[in-house]
Amino acid sequence: MAQRRALATVFALALTLSAACGTTSENSGQNPQPGAAGGDACAGPDGTYTIGMSQANVAEPYRERMDDDIRTAAAKVPQFTVEFADAQQDNAKQVADVENFLTKQIDLLIISPNEATPLTSVVAKAYNKGIPVIVLDRKVDGDAYTTWIGADNVEIGRTAGKYVAEQLLPNGGKVGELRGLAGSTPAKERGDGFREGIRGTNIDIVTSSDGDWLREKGQAQADAMFTANPDIEVVYAHNDPMAEGAYLAAKAAGKEKSLKFIGIDGLPIPSGGLKAVEQGRLSATLIYPTAGNEAVETAKQLLIDCEEVPREQTLTTELITIDNAATVYDEANS
Amino acid sequence: MDDGVSALVEMTGISKSYGGVHACRDIDLTVRAGEVHALLGENGAGKSTLMKVLSGDVTDHTGEIRVAGVPRRFGAPVDAQRAGIAMIHQELDLVPELSVAENIFLGREPRTRLRTVDRRAMITMTRGLLDRCGVRLDPRRPVGALRTGEQQLVTIAKALSLDAQVLIMDEPTSALSPVEVEQMFTVITELRRAGAGIVYISHRMDEIGRIADRATVLRNGAVVEEFDARELTAERAAEAMVGRPVQAMFRTRAVEPGEEILRVRDLALTPRRARSGRREPDGISLTVRRGEIVGVGGLLGSGRTELLETLFGAGPPGTVRGEILLRGRPVRPRGPRQALALGLAFVPEDRRIAGLAIDHSVLANTVLSIVERIATAGIVPRARETSAARRIVADLKVKVGSIGDAVGTLSGGNQQKVVFGRMLLTEPLLLLLDEPTRGVDVGAKAEIYALLGRAAEQGIGVLLASSEPAELVGVCDRVVVLSGGRSVRELDTSHAGEAELLAASMGEGSTAIAVDTGGAG
Amino acid sequence: MTRTVPHRGSGGRVVAALFRFQSLFGLVAVFVVAVVFSPRHDGALLFLDGDNLFNVVRAVSEIGIMAVGMTFVILVGGIDLSVGAVLGLAAVGSAVLMVDSDFGVFAAVAVVLLIGLGFGFLQGLASAVFGIQAFIVTLAGMQIARGLARIWSGGQGVAIAYGDGPGEAPLAFSLLGERTFNGLVPIPALIFAVVAVVAIVFLRTSAFSRHMYAIGGNEQAARLSGVPVTRVKVAVFCICGFLAALAGIVHAGQLNQGSPNDGFGYELDAIAAVVIGGTSLMGGRGSVTGTVAGALLLGVLNNFLGLHGVDPNIQLLVKGLVIVVAAGLQRLRPAG
Repeated sequence: MAQRRALATVFALALTLSAACGTTSENSGQNPQPGAAGGDACAGPDGTYTIGMSQANVAEPYRERMDDDIRTAAAKVPQFTVEFADAQQDNAKQVADVENFLTKQIDLLIISPNEATPLTSVVAKAYNKGIPVIVLDRKVDGDAYTTWIGADNVEIGRTAGKYVAEQLLPNGGKVGELRGLAGSTPAKERGDGFREGIRGTNIDIVTSSDGDWLREKGQAQADAMFTANPDIEVVYAHNDPMAEGAYLAAKAAGKEKSLKFIGIDGLPIPSGGLKAVEQGRLSATLIYPTAGNEAVETAKQLLIDCEEVPREQTLTTELITIDNAATVYDEANS
Repeated sequence: MDDGVSALVEMTGISKSYGGVHACRDIDLTVRAGEVHALLGENGAGKSTLMKVLSGDVTDHTGEIRVAGVPRRFGAPVDAQRAGIAMIHQELDLVPELSVAENIFLGREPRTRLRTVDRRAMITMTRGLLDRCGVRLDPRRPVGALRTGEQQLVTIAKALSLDAQVLIMDEPTSALSPVEVEQMFTVITELRRAGAGIVYISHRMDEIGRIADRATVLRNGAVVEEFDARELTAERAAEAMVGRPVQAMFRTRAVEPGEEILRVRDLALTPRRARSGRREPDGISLTVRRGEIVGVGGLLGSGRTELLETLFGAGPPGTVRGEILLRGRPVRPRGPRQALALGLAFVPEDRRIAGLAIDHSVLANTVLSIVERIATAGIVPRARETSAARRIVADLKVKVGSIGDAVGTLSGGNQQKVVFGRMLLTEPLLLLLDEPTRGVDVGAKAEIYALLGRAAEQGIGVLLASSEPAELVGVCDRVVVLSGGRSVRELDTSHAGEAELLAASMGEGSTAIAVDTGGAG
Repeated sequence: MTRTVPHRGSGGRVVAALFRFQSLFGLVAVFVVAVVFSPRHDGALLFLDGDNLFNVVRAVSEIGIMAVGMTFVILVGGIDLSVGAVLGLAAVGSAVLMVDSDFGVFAAVAVVLLIGLGFGFLQGLASAVFGIQAFIVTLAGMQIARGLARIWSGGQGVAIAYGDGPGEAPLAFSLLGERTFNGLVPIPALIFAVVAVVAIVFLRTSAFSRHMYAIGGNEQAARLSGVPVTRVKVAVFCICGFLAALAGIVHAGQLNQGSPNDGFGYELDAIAAVVIGGTSLMGGRGSVTGTVAGALLLGVLNNFLGLHGVDPNIQLLVKGLVIVVAAGLQRLRPAG
């Protein structure tokens, strides 16, 4: 260890001082033992555990809520201390965050990856060190993790599509789509699912624009959308903030009464989709569960109860309309 | 002095020295109401310093200033302004993007009751001011769109709006067209009638004869003569201004000129885009032989700098006509890089703007033009670099602690030597120099002249543009006089002296004298 | 040891040296703080853990490589805002060329580097020849590179799978995500070290670098001294684009993916490293040594704050303060 440290220090200095660099070390490179993840991590109820939570970004309310859920749930488990890291939507930063957690020798890793492939190898590195890994929301590639907890975005999109087909436009009609950030998996899946849901009906998606998950971008794109396609009847947004943005754009054009808006996420926060439905701005939203409670519950099973957990835990969505919005909100915040 | 007309300003016993050099020695000057007082003198005679004292720019002087009979001590230009004294600078301090009215009331705009700028009042007041000067200008036009002369009038209007009683005008007509000059004179006449006093610095005798009431001639920091301006002749003024033997610091000819290096025939440049304030060559012919120092003289704005820049390929892009023959071969430098490769070298006028990277070392500045030449495969051997710099620093006697010192820490003369040294390192055939002794003390001046002499002895041809007649006559073998971008006369300095040069600079019919720009005193 | 300003005044030379190497002193200071206040685990200082130190260098290697190019551009008085987007374009390019177009590693790398170089060339041309401000040119370049990356990738991150089959990238490319010297030294850190050393030597010895400093110091004087100003400026933008593309290749190799959103905001980190490194944004003075130290300083700071689990929002404040302090020190620096 001492030698490696010395070498590393020398290396950093060498880089700085433009001197030569590079010697080999004899006692490095012990390969991590693969497998047996979680097996030796469990020390029962008498142990104390540090959990690292690597969040892709906290700029989105959905992820902020995920962190909050984990914080609240973990506070009820006296053995747990949770540390949070924010990757600010940068894959490379998230890799460094996880590496920091490994340096700190955390007992369990919860990660909500910014993207799948770039985080795969660092997650595998943690898992192969014997640290249990709980992956939330977006998956990583391969199977070097303990469990994945999340919802099925395709299913959510499909439910949204069916709701539009059955409830809002039973005789067919025109839909405008506000998509999430181009290149992100949920944007693709929520879009694909919706198209499955409306298959075989007379519903047309006449226009799609990227709203980048953002309310203001959604508003701007909706403005353009309403101008170019005045005959749109329903706006399907990949998240609630964009749906709210579209509502604002419609209001500015005096069309908010004749149009319907659907979002996704249904966060139980004052600015979230549940309230927007309750207050009649959105026709419906679909709950995208943060999985924060479930993650802490699973951590408890792994570390304190020494139990096996399933490899995949798919959480169900729920369609929220004006009928159940208030009830669900109260339940989530009780 | 007291002849019944009230004195607005009386300066008595004004002295000011820089280092050991007396810029002003015991000068008395009076400006009376309703009078135009011309101030004459060569570069360095002390005009600028005296006016800086009067306008509050120089404060550590001795002697007394009385304004309307009250002794005053100015701590800053703003004090002088409050006392009613305004300097119309050659560099106009106007914001080109703002309108005439906005410029005049900049920082003290009239307000409406809502504290917003009262544009209507501002424009009306501006009209009033312009009318007082007898100028017709739309107050709403942006200043940047005005001609230089009009801008100058705006500056005068601005001074009037500050209730200036005494206006100092430093070469106000140098950049003006004849029509603008007439307009300026109208304004001056108006101002005089309104009881203002004007200090008028110029070298154009025709102007002084027309509008000045009195003239004071300064030489070497002291008053040498006072005239009634209407009786002043060019000859008398020139005599008073020169009035001294040609200084011993100038070199004596050591070598006979050799073969012809440069021949310029009917050189003219039509720039693609005209720039104001420039006088591009419009028919210049001259020759320079080996070992010869040829001067380029002429009034400010006659195109001296522009000639050198055009020869060096550093002028504005445009069409060059006429011939440039370098050792008999026609050349047309398209840029400084190519010019240097041809054996031309150029020491620009303003070393801080165009000559030096002021933060960088003497080493970096001296070898800049030859780093490629001394490099092997693009790598500059440190030893070769430092030895070249050390050699030239020693040759030119640059006073510097170490060649690693920033060039900005050197005195003006030594900075100039660094630029000079950089060019000598390129081993040029022909050296183009623009005002090489501007802002340099007397000792360094002499050294620079000696260096020029040595360069010439080594067979380099030198083309020296200068605004100082004494320098041209003292240093050069011949002087080519420019006027309006044309070469109008050529003088052999072994026969002709400063007075002839001054006379030649006036051109046909003109009575302007001297070739001063009224620069640093 | 390096030409921050190519040599300076004897008066206050010690003070000048302090300022010249401010980022080195800063780095040492931050390093010492990080050691002293390092979290411990079983008595061992976590910060000084060998893996951790290499993590620091690996984490800054991409920003570091770009910052070297940025230093060049800033030295001639320019700026390049496009480097982050060019990194994204290069990452996408590497992935698409190897995965979709079956390029070999060397062919793909060569093509991507050429793209970066060409992109820099066009920006240099626009800025130096047509006289558009570098800020504006590269602001536009940033959008264009981002757009090209989106188009080329089809808007999706392109995952890189390794193997010999079609649609798979050669295994050699995955070396970028690995470590050498018995699994100790991350390859990206090694690449950064090589780039830094080459750049430092280049700046110290070449005639070209003398021209760069001169242009940054006084462009008009440089032109009148025969410096080929336009050529040097264009070349410098080429170098910067080239290095941004290299960083993009490293990025793709480390993350096994090329995504059009990669490198978002990296240009600001690179500029921060340069500024902390003591290079004047006015051009004419600065050094790659300083920039490398600046990048490492940011890396150590990130790592230290991360190890302590400092609130991410507070981390941003701390980093902002460091940049302000570094810039403030530059203003105190004795002039000329």
